[in-house]
Order: sequence, then structure tokens, then C-alpha cells
Amino acid sequence: MNSNLVVVLRAAVFIALALALCGIIFEFAGYSAIAMFEAIVEGAFLRSGGLTQSLRWAVPLFITAVGVGLSFRSGFFNIGAQGQFYVGAIAATCAATWLNGAPAIVLVPLSFLAGMVGGALWALWPGLLRLRSGTDETITTLMGNFLATLLLIYVTTGPLKDPSGSGQQSSSRPLAAAYRISNSLGLSPTIIAIAIIVGVLMWLLVNRSAFGVVASLAGRNPVMVRWQGAKVWWLGLTSFLVAGGLAGLAGTIEVFGPNGRLVGGFLPAHGFTAILIALVANLSVGGTAIGALFFGGLASAALYLPVMAGLPSAAIDIINAAIALFITARSAHLDRLIGRVTGGAGRSAKPQ
Amino acid sequence: MTDLIVAILRSATPLVYVTMAGVIAQRAGIWHLGLEGVMIIGAAATVIGIVLTGSLGLALLAAVIFSVLASVLLWFAIEKLKANPIIAGLGLTGLGIGGTSLASQSIFGSQASVTAPFGLPRLGEAFGPFASLSILVAAMPFVVFGMWVLLRRTRFGLQLAASGEHPFAARSAGVDPSRMRLFALAFGGVLAAAGGAELATGSLQIFAQNMTAGRGFMAFAAVVFGASHPIGAALAAIFFSLVGALGIRAQLVFGDAVPHDLLLALPYLATIFGVWLSGRLRGGAAAAPASFGELRDY
Repeated sequence: MNSNLVVVLRAAVFIALALALCGIIFEFAGYSAIAMFEAIVEGAFLRSGGLTQSLRWAVPLFITAVGVGLSFRSGFFNIGAQGQFYVGAIAATCAATWLNGAPAIVLVPLSFLAGMVGGALWALWPGLLRLRSGTDETITTLMGNFLATLLLIYVTTGPLKDPSGSGQQSSSRPLAAAYRISNSLGLSPTIIAIAIIVGVLMWLLVNRSAFGVVASLAGRNPVMVRWQGAKVWWLGLTSFLVAGGLAGLAGTIEVFGPNGRLVGGFLPAHGFTAILIALVANLSVGGTAIGALFFGGLASAALYLPVMAGLPSAAIDIINAAIALFITARSAHLDRLIGRVTGGAGRSAKPQ
Repeated sequence: MTDLIVAILRSATPLVYVTMAGVIAQRAGIWHLGLEGVMIIGAAATVIGIVLTGSLGLALLAAVIFSVLASVLLWFAIEKLKANPIIAGLGLTGLGIGGTSLASQSIFGSQASVTAPFGLPRLGEAFGPFASLSILVAAMPFVVFGMWVLLRRTRFGLQLAASGEHPFAARSAGVDPSRMRLFALAFGGVLAAAGGAELATGSLQIFAQNMTAGRGFMAFAAVVFGASHPIGAALAAIFFSLVGALGIRAQLVFGDAVPHDLLLALPYLATIFGVWLSGRLRGGAAAAPASFGELRDY
């Protein structure tokens, strides 16, 4: 119990440090830091519909982040959630285009399956390269993000292009209304149900299954687990596939939910934010849900800031980045201080 | 042929400078994924500095100051606060991309790209077909050679490598690994600023949001491909640029037969291949860096 408190306090201290850095940058760029933060809080929670918008952004972030958390737990630095998200969305759109005209009860589940398989396949090749050849997965998944972005631009301007589409954003043909799982607001009982099911299943997988326990051990000490006879190979591959599949699922939800079509270059920083959420939450599933709400609020505010005269949405990117800079910090001094305040929990649970 | 060489030199030079920044950080034991952020800060500060002050010298000075400040911030996060170098580096990259776009928007009031009236000095007529290249292109081979001397042939270079490989041994020999890492990151900041300045003002004199477009990450991959040897890493960076230039050339030749975006993917594919190959050549899984390049201080 106490160790959880230490984790929360530590995250709070470093988020405060990150916000202070952002304040300095805002002031330096000629904006009032106070006004900026007020606008962000208002955009996330206070204005009418702000909470709904925050929840709308929190759902895809949560689904992606629990997958990222699982692969981090297993000791694999899979930072390719963005690419897996895109490829999942592309695969789901391909399936929907191919099956167009079929009844919704057939088309929607098959497309979701295609989306998850697409995302999982995009995580499979870095996983195989890592496990077979020792190729560092940090770089391959990172390059995979760039490749998937180019693939997305290619399919939305080429094979899947909507010929009647005009305007700056290229996109695929819109889905028929019968196939959509939410309106363009992006929140519906179906989507919330998917998020809850994913959350419960992942919680069971991580905390109540042999796989989850051994994977966490393997992340901390692969040599020990290998000596105990567990198949580290199998653990690694599974965690890559689950992480990719969940990112693909989040991409599919965006296509069938709020967007209603595949849009070129949608949610460019989504994968990065999901990594942050997983780390802020110390890789726990419950913490990820809370973290997703916080960052979902920031994403909702990002859309609101340009509406307020003169405030750039880059502010949100800066806040995310500053949090990333400090979030994995673990200062022994700080832990000792927190330990004294909270009654001697001291430096227990350390991230990763 | 000559214009292909010019094209390769033009696109390779910024990458090589940033790669050198990655090499020196890697040898000090830091996986520098913030290269992209430092580079774009250098690019933005150069262009905005030229527009505001009208002086190239002041603009370059500003680029160096801001890039070094950003590098020191990264050092503070990973060395003083013990943050994970990869996540902190990605954070610095986000900070650079977001901060430069915030800066250009707050100074010029729009998100459009900024054009500077002049850029880095060019080589001039005496160099024939290479006249339009900047002086940083000509300086590049000397910088790479200088890096090789610094890292492989000086006492300082050995102390730096010791700080990265065996901090404990370095400390027993009276070297402070933390201070060596500070120096490596700050010096890398200067090099990355040069790379950013070359990218932004070497040929077109323009700054656009997110104009580095992953070059910092490609430089990082070149460091890994080149086994953090200055010359090897520089050759890897040139190889990536060669692949990119050949892709553009292929597009001119084949026209629309090959989709444009798939050709743009070639450098990334070459990067993946390069990292895979360097992993294989150095003995497969055994050579994979341990525990995400976490800093060891014991």
C-alpha cells in the first residue's frame, strides 16, 4: 500500500517539475504560463462537453497503453505503438472496403479482427528480428513508425483514396452509417464496453495468469527465468503480438468510431503519448486507466487551445515531452524524503 | 554522376554532423535519442536568428547556445535524476519539435515556414560543380577525422570510452564519469547545432515545422550501424543518404511506375537492414546492448 503511495507521489513531483519547465518555455515564447495552464484545464474538464471529449481521447490511449505496458513489463522496449496503430487502422479499412455491402454483423467483427491482426503483424517483425538476431527493437520499432506513416499516406492517396474527396486531408471512402460504432463525437456504449473488456482481460492476464507473472519476472531478470526453464522466446513474442494487436484495435476503433473513415496522418503523437501513460502508471493496468484520463484531457485541450485566440496546440506537445523527460526519473534523495513523510516505505517499487 | 554526388553530399552532411554528436554520446555510455530535438533546435535558431538579427554569426551563436542548453537538460534528467535515457531522449525530441514550432508561431504569428534572406557561405565558383554547397560540407571530412583523432587517439577519448564502458574503472582512475558525460552531450550539442544549421541554411534557407523528419533517429541508427566508430558511423550516414538519393533518382527515371511514398521509405528500410546486419556481424543476441542502455554507475 505504502509503496503505491510512493509511486504516486514520485510521479506527482516529477510531473510538477515538467510543468514548471513548460511554464518557463511558455513565458520564454511570449505566452503567459498561467493563462496557458488555465486554458488547458478549461479545455480538458471545465468547458461543456470537455469531460466527454477527454473520455473520447482516453479510450484509444488506454487500449494502446496497456499493450505498451505489457511489452515493457516483459523487458522489450517496443516503442512502435504508433506504427502498429496505423497498420491496424489500414488493415481494418482494407477489410471493410473488401467486404463492403455485407451485413454489419459480419463486416464489423471481421474488420476488427483484421485490424488487430494487422497491428500484431507490424509488431511481429521487430519482435522476430530481436529474438532471432538480437537486432535492437528500439530502432526497428521506431523505423517501423516512419514506414507505417508513409504506408498510411500511400494508401490514403493511392489504393484506398476517396475519389470524391476534396480538401487538404486525403482519406478513404467513408464507411456506411450502419457500420459505424459511434457518431463523430467518438463516445458510445460499444466503445466504452470494448475499453472495459480490454482493461479486465489485460488485468487478468498481467496479474492473475502464469504468463503475466513470468513475463514480469523475465523483464526484470531474463537470465534467471531462462535458467528456471521458462520459454523467454515465447513470452517475448506473445508480448509483442498482444501489444501490436491492441494498438491495431485502437486504430480500428478510430476508423469505425469517430472518424468513420481512414484519414491520412491522423493522431500523429498517439503512440508516444501511450508510452508516457504506461510509464506514468508504472506499467500497472489500473494506473494506466487513470493516466489515460489525464492525457486524454490534455488531448482534448489540444483541440480547444487553437479555438482560444492565439494559443498554439504545440503547447500540449511540449507538456507531453517535458513529462517524458522526467517521468522515469528516480532520485534516491526524493524517495528517502517521501519515505520519511509516508512512514518509512522508502525506496521500494522502482519503475521497470 | 556529378550532380548525384552533389545531391548525396547535400543530404548527407547534416546527417553526418548529427551522427558525430550521437557517436560521442554513445561512447560516453548514453543512447542519445534526443538528437532529433537538438538538431531541430539548431535549425530553428539559425533561421530565426538570421531573420531577427540579420547576422549569420549571431544566429549560429544562438543555435549553439540553445542546442547546448537542451543537451545539458538531457544530461540533468538522465545523470542527476536517473531517468531512462531512451524515454528522456524521446522527450527532448518532442520538446525540440514542439518548442521550435511554438517559437516560430509566437515570433511570426503563423505556422507557415520561415525563410531567411541568406544562409551559410557557399564554396563559390572555384569549386566548379560543387559551388552551391556550403562550407560545412567541405568541413565535414575534417570534422569526422578530427572526431576519430579525439575519440581514438587522445587521452580524453580513452577516458570518455572508459566512462561509458566501465564507469567504476574510470572513477578509480580519477575520472568523473558524470562530468565526462556532460562534456560529451554538450559537445554533441554543438555538432548537432551545426547539422541543424546545415539542414536549414545549407541550400534553401528555410525553417519549417518538423523539418528534420526523423533525420535525428536515422543518425542514431547510423551510430549503431557504424559500431560507434566515428568513420564507420559517418560512412553509415552517407550510405543512408545514398539510398535516399538513389530513390529520388529512380523516381525521375521510372516516373510513376513506383509509388513516391514507397521510395521515401528506402532510407528507413536501409536503416533497419543496417542495424540488423551490425547485430549479426557482432555475434547476434549476445551483442545486443544490455538493459536498454541503462547507465551503470557502479
